[in-house]
Amino acid sequence: MKRATQAAETPQVGRSIPRLESWLKVTGRAEYVHNLRLPGMLYGKIFRSNVAHGRIKNIDVSAARALAGVYRVVTGKDIQEVIPEPFYGPAFHDQPILALDKVRYVGEPVAVVLASDPHVAEAATHLISAEYEELPAVYDEVEAMTSKAIVHDVLKPAGTFPDLKHLQGKKNTNLALDFRLRRGNPDKAFKAAARVFEHRFRTQQVMHTPLEPLVSVAECTEDTLTIHTASQSPSFVRIEIARLLGWAENRVRVRVPFLGGGFGAKLYIKLEALVSVLSLITRKPVKIALTMEEQFFTITKHASTFRIKSGVDAGGRIVARECEVWWNGGAYADIGPRVTQKSGFTAPGPYDIEHVAIDSYALYTNLPPAGALRGFGIPQLVWAYESHTDLMARELGVDPVAFRRQNLLKEGRPQATGTVMHDAATEKVLDRLGALMDWKKPFDQGKGTVRRGRGIAVGFKACISNTTSLAAVGVNADGSCTVYCSTVDMGQGSDTTMAQIVGEVLRVPAESVRVVHSDTDVTPFDMATLGSRSMFHMGNAVKLAAEDALQKINHLRKELGLGPDSAVPEIFRKKYGMRAGSVMGTASFNPPYTPPDANGLTDNATPFWMVGGTGVELEVDTETGRVRITRLVNVADVGTPVNPKIVESQLSGAAIMQLGFTLFEKMLFDDQGQLRNASLAEYKIPGFLDLPDEIVNEAVAAEQKSGPFGAKGVGETATFGLSPAVANAIHDAVGIRLTELPMNPEAVFTKMQSR
Amino acid sequence: MSGGTALMLMMKAGVLRPSRLVFLGRLSLEKIESGPDGALRIGAMTTLRALERSDAVRMGWPVIAKALRTLANVRVRNVATVGGALAHAEPHMDLPPLLAALGARVLIEGKNGKRQLPVEDLYAGYLENTLKPGEIITQVEVPALGKRRAAYLKCTTRSADDWPAVGVAVALDSHESRIFISAAVDRPTRISSAQDLENIRIDGDLHGSADYKRQLLRVFLKRAMDEARNAGR
Repeated sequence: MKRATQAAETPQVGRSIPRLESWLKVTGRAEYVHNLRLPGMLYGKIFRSNVAHGRIKNIDVSAARALAGVYRVVTGKDIQEVIPEPFYGPAFHDQPILALDKVRYVGEPVAVVLASDPHVAEAATHLISAEYEELPAVYDEVEAMTSKAIVHDVLKPAGTFPDLKHLQGKKNTNLALDFRLRRGNPDKAFKAAARVFEHRFRTQQVMHTPLEPLVSVAECTEDTLTIHTASQSPSFVRIEIARLLGWAENRVRVRVPFLGGGFGAKLYIKLEALVSVLSLITRKPVKIALTMEEQFFTITKHASTFRIKSGVDAGGRIVARECEVWWNGGAYADIGPRVTQKSGFTAPGPYDIEHVAIDSYALYTNLPPAGALRGFGIPQLVWAYESHTDLMARELGVDPVAFRRQNLLKEGRPQATGTVMHDAATEKVLDRLGALMDWKKPFDQGKGTVRRGRGIAVGFKACISNTTSLAAVGVNADGSCTVYCSTVDMGQGSDTTMAQIVGEVLRVPAESVRVVHSDTDVTPFDMATLGSRSMFHMGNAVKLAAEDALQKINHLRKELGLGPDSAVPEIFRKKYGMRAGSVMGTASFNPPYTPPDANGLTDNATPFWMVGGTGVELEVDTETGRVRITRLVNVADVGTPVNPKIVESQLSGAAIMQLGFTLFEKMLFDDQGQLRNASLAEYKIPGFLDLPDEIVNEAVAAEQKSGPFGAKGVGETATFGLSPAVANAIHDAVGIRLTELPMNPEAVFTKMQSR
Repeated sequence: MSGGTALMLMMKAGVLRPSRLVFLGRLSLEKIESGPDGALRIGAMTTLRALERSDAVRMGWPVIAKALRTLANVRVRNVATVGGALAHAEPHMDLPPLLAALGARVLIEGKNGKRQLPVEDLYAGYLENTLKPGEIITQVEVPALGKRRAAYLKCTTRSADDWPAVGVAVALDSHESRIFISAAVDRPTRISSAQDLENIRIDGDLHGSADYKRQLLRVFLKRAMDEARNAGR
């Protein structure tokens, strides 16, 4: 790898060094699972269900098996010969490796063809036919609450989460979690309120669209299994595969090189269980690489409905809030129940409200499964509560920034759960947003067919808890340093920032630090790369491990009678009489957490809070409804940035991604649950021509005292406020309110016509 | 097969399963010439990118060069060809309405000899052209712009680089307006006035409902006429 040189005296934290892997990536030499070919490897292609809900009557694979070049065709029954109970999932053990008795959504994997030529395998999938007895299906999350169509005959919580235990064995329900929070006395407070506002908002189902589609390869030996996979959660994959096979964890090895984007799509088990079983059945290496199109049938972002009601007193203070949120989880729970709870408790927003009631429901439906997507449910919530906030400010005739300022949750005040907010720069974020938007200055509203508007929104997120990261930092005989951690660099720059942290502690240039990629035989446990947790959790673990290594080196110095400034190679030479030896510093980091009580209350809901504010200025073409964003301002509390350049690109990248979800991305289903736009020709994501004319990103001066060098996560922060800021600005421009995403030109125009 | 950009997508989607593909790349059909009559002759295998960058096109038919700049993306334009873009008969394409408005003709060759067709007569319906088995387009001839003023406008309703929801091409001179609409109809369709938009059959699709597309056509027809009138030649 080509490396720049950098004086070791420079502080390593706070430097905007380029990504350490950028040279490898731009020269096409970075390792991806997509490029992996093993001797004798078979390719698997998946045959999928074409009905939304049905009992499998018959699967005819004879013609596929007869095709020249086909090695084998595998169905759910074959899987059960290796794993009798082949159900996986992080919250519920509800997802079969291949469909067994039923199919639950269009696109569900039913059979796999294996061949040494992927084109032969693909051709053979078209020769498979399946017969189903069709069952009534349900697609809408609110209808799923009362629907007679039941997606799962019986609920099977995974057992790892105490708040799911009461759902064990439940029948005749689509409810995969009902999270409840009660604080104060909302009923009484609503009665006493001067004004009460109630609104309902919806979001649509969308996809992560990582540039690199999901891909996994499994190879087995006599008694071990190695999985090469594009995964954000190698440690979880090892645990879950070991559980499925009934093996010890040390027989399963999970390797993850670079990822071409993840965004939450590559978490938990996706293709790993399937390739593992296929490899065990055939005793050959097996690779499955999804096409871009197949990703639509694998994991998506929750559609949601949110009913929000607020009571405001005569002085403009919000005194009561009621939130009812329905999450459309699709056919398998994936991490949906955690989204429902871990994000659900922030549904009242970053406001200081005494009386709060929250009901957050995870629902099964007959759509492709939904999981986490860059925000873990937060963008859906902020969309509703910040649209609601703006509508209230308008109705009350007060400035939307001033209204937020008056009600903002400030340092030292308890959030809805009762957890006291610390190191959450809500005030700074709102104030800087106002300043960068020149909010107090008059604004040109445009004329003729081009009307201009501006809007803001502020959101916050609690980091997922309870989670653990372990790390090791090695110092070699020549003084060079190696980091062993299972954080996956999926484009967010974690290799670079972890190297900066080690460089800072051990006083070496970050560019000289080597970060070993996830390999469960080598790198210690990490919960997963998700939810903007790695900088805080793994950053802390890596820092502690580096400090542990430093302490051991200092011990050696003392033991050998060497001075505090003695060079590392000199220490090892003196200790071992030659160039030999190494020191390994280790650490684990597991911040404290208190699970919520029956009312959803806890004194410690999260190790840190993320705060993001968004401001937009836009133009609406009144003849077409087309919206053009002329200026986008992202303001965030990310603590103290370890690498300011990476922070900036994370902020702008997250906002641009959310822009697609806001203005045009939508998975369109017909009334049979068939996806009508499962290709990038018909499902468009933002390109360069969709970017706002100007993007301003700012990390406010802040410090997360418990974070490594004052830092915390940033990957999701700029997704929070974008959608409502756009809706608020459209309202400002043309006087209409949209309550459903996406706000595409036709939706805007139609609403303008119905005024 | 010419550029293959559309064909490969159709094959991937399983819509088309050809048993054999014949590549047309060795027929020396990549020339762009402006003849003594002032007309532009484009070989059917000319890539869209070559057409976009051609000095003759930029000078004589700036409206074509401009339309190409927002046609798909540069990776597609580097391989997609003019002949392929016309023969595909996908109603959301940019070149068919524009070339039809400009009065272009295609030269068709087959085992029974050569024939010429106005571009608009190349289309029979959705993904359906009027080429006979064994025939290929070998050349497109665009008459000199002369005193005419032309514009092509499209409207996308998802990302900016999406297929258009509607396209409007106009070519105006003192005695004739040639106006073609696309994307909202199954083939490039000539209209004579804004009033025609109210009576024509419009198809809704994933880009917008029929009602909304009609509105877009009204707006973009007006805008295209304005742009053409203001266009420097």
